[in-house]
Amino acid sequence: MPARILVIDDNRPNLDLMTYLLKAFGHEPTGTTDPTVALEQARARTFDVIISDILMPEMDGFSLARTFKADPKLQSTPLIAVTALAMAGDRERVLAAGFSGYISKPIDPQTFVSQVDSFLPEALRGQNTDR
Amino acid sequence: MKANLPGVERQFRDLLESAPDAMVIVDGSGKIVLVNAQTERLFGYSREELLAHTVETLIPQRYRDRHLGHRNGYFEAPRPRGMGDGLELYGLRKDGTEFPVEISLSPLQTDHGVLVSSAIRDITERKQIEKALREKHIELEKVNRAKDSFLAAMSHELRTPLNAIIGFTGTLLMRLPGPLTDEQAQQLEIVQSSARHLLSLINDMLDVTRIESGKADLHFEAVEVGEVVNTVATALRPTAESKHLRLKAETSSDDLTLTTDRRALRQILNNLIGNAIKYTEKGSVHIRTWRQKNGSIAIAVTDTGIGIKNEDRERLFEAFEQLDRSTTRRFEGVGLGLHLSRKLASLIRGELTVESEVGKGSTFTLTLPGK
Repeated sequence: MPARILVIDDNRPNLDLMTYLLKAFGHEPTGTTDPTVALEQARARTFDVIISDILMPEMDGFSLARTFKADPKLQSTPLIAVTALAMAGDRERVLAAGFSGYISKPIDPQTFVSQVDSFLPEALRGQNTDR
Repeated sequence: MKANLPGVERQFRDLLESAPDAMVIVDGSGKIVLVNAQTERLFGYSREELLAHTVETLIPQRYRDRHLGHRNGYFEAPRPRGMGDGLELYGLRKDGTEFPVEISLSPLQTDHGVLVSSAIRDITERKQIEKALREKHIELEKVNRAKDSFLAAMSHELRTPLNAIIGFTGTLLMRLPGPLTDEQAQQLEIVQSSARHLLSLINDMLDVTRIESGKADLHFEAVEVGEVVNTVATALRPTAESKHLRLKAETSSDDLTLTTDRRALRQILNNLIGNAIKYTEKGSVHIRTWRQKNGSIAIAVTDTGIGIKNEDRERLFEAFEQLDRSTTRRFEGVGLGLHLSRKLASLIRGELTVESEVGKGSTFTLTLPGK
């Protein structure tokens, strides 16, 4: 069964890369470059996992995580950071902000989906579509 | 020189006039009995104006009451000492302006009883220098913080486009959008390895800065040297094989376990073995590990490459140095690897040395404390 995944990244090429990979491995991604839109979508629909960039204009990943964790409907959805913040201490900082997972950019396209899958129940994990 | 105590004047005249500081001598009631020419210059009073006034004339109004108490206290137990240790002291000129001073006191036994001599030094200039130094220091800290945040921003900004480059090259090579011709695959692999190379340069640059600003985070743990050597050798074997070089890792059969930072050790070995492969056109790269007589652990990487001239040995470890301008065309890189390796080696209390013969090859040896 495909997982419903919300992906947030203000950089369009990077957003496209993630949604493309997730789709190629059989998931159902919804992508947006706008964290505010993401919040509306997350509240209106149900997602199995949410992937977010950290450094974004308007609203950064840290305040996004705070908002999600304060929302009873959203607080149990796994939240994964995919970020180019990759200096010493960044991982700890991101996890401390409430994210369940941290993936640093550049992502490895070979393993990205399985990294995301590890936050999903067995039944929702991706399959290579082997085109 | 004029004093209202003639004997005192005779006794101290030469001493006072030769002193570099303003000297003011007061009697038990705080009256000024003798001053030198430096005092006149410093405070703007003539000595006639000062004599018979109390010393508080030379002190800003707000300190006078307190000073009176201190003065009486001093006369009860007079001994040579500095005044107001750690406090900011000020003198008051005739024209009402103030200036920072440093004062030392000493009692003088005379026929007229105990007098107190104070040497007063104008420290305006020193204070200004101190202030300038403090400001400079704050400024440097600010510059340093700016450098750190610039690097953090650079790291982020450079990684963002690299993510799309490496990512989409990967999806193409994974044939996710569809099949590739051999030629297309080959060229995409070049894009991929170049992008990864660029990423490793960015990482090296950040590592160097982190180490130089003392921000490297080390985790010391028990590490078996042979295991790390084998891991690195395995990862680099394909590169060696693509140049038809033999890569041989001959690890000691002894247990060479020591307490060190695994990541730093791996990074040093990765650099040394990677360099050996890079600078060797033909022959082999040979890695050996052993325990030395004094108990320390040695790891040597020997190549049959171009070698290094004697006079170039030390320059080798400087940042952004590649020895021969003509080699920079042949070998890519910014010359951070060995600089970084030596810094990392000293962080894990090790030493990195080199022996080499031009045309025959080089041996880089990393020596680590044996425990």
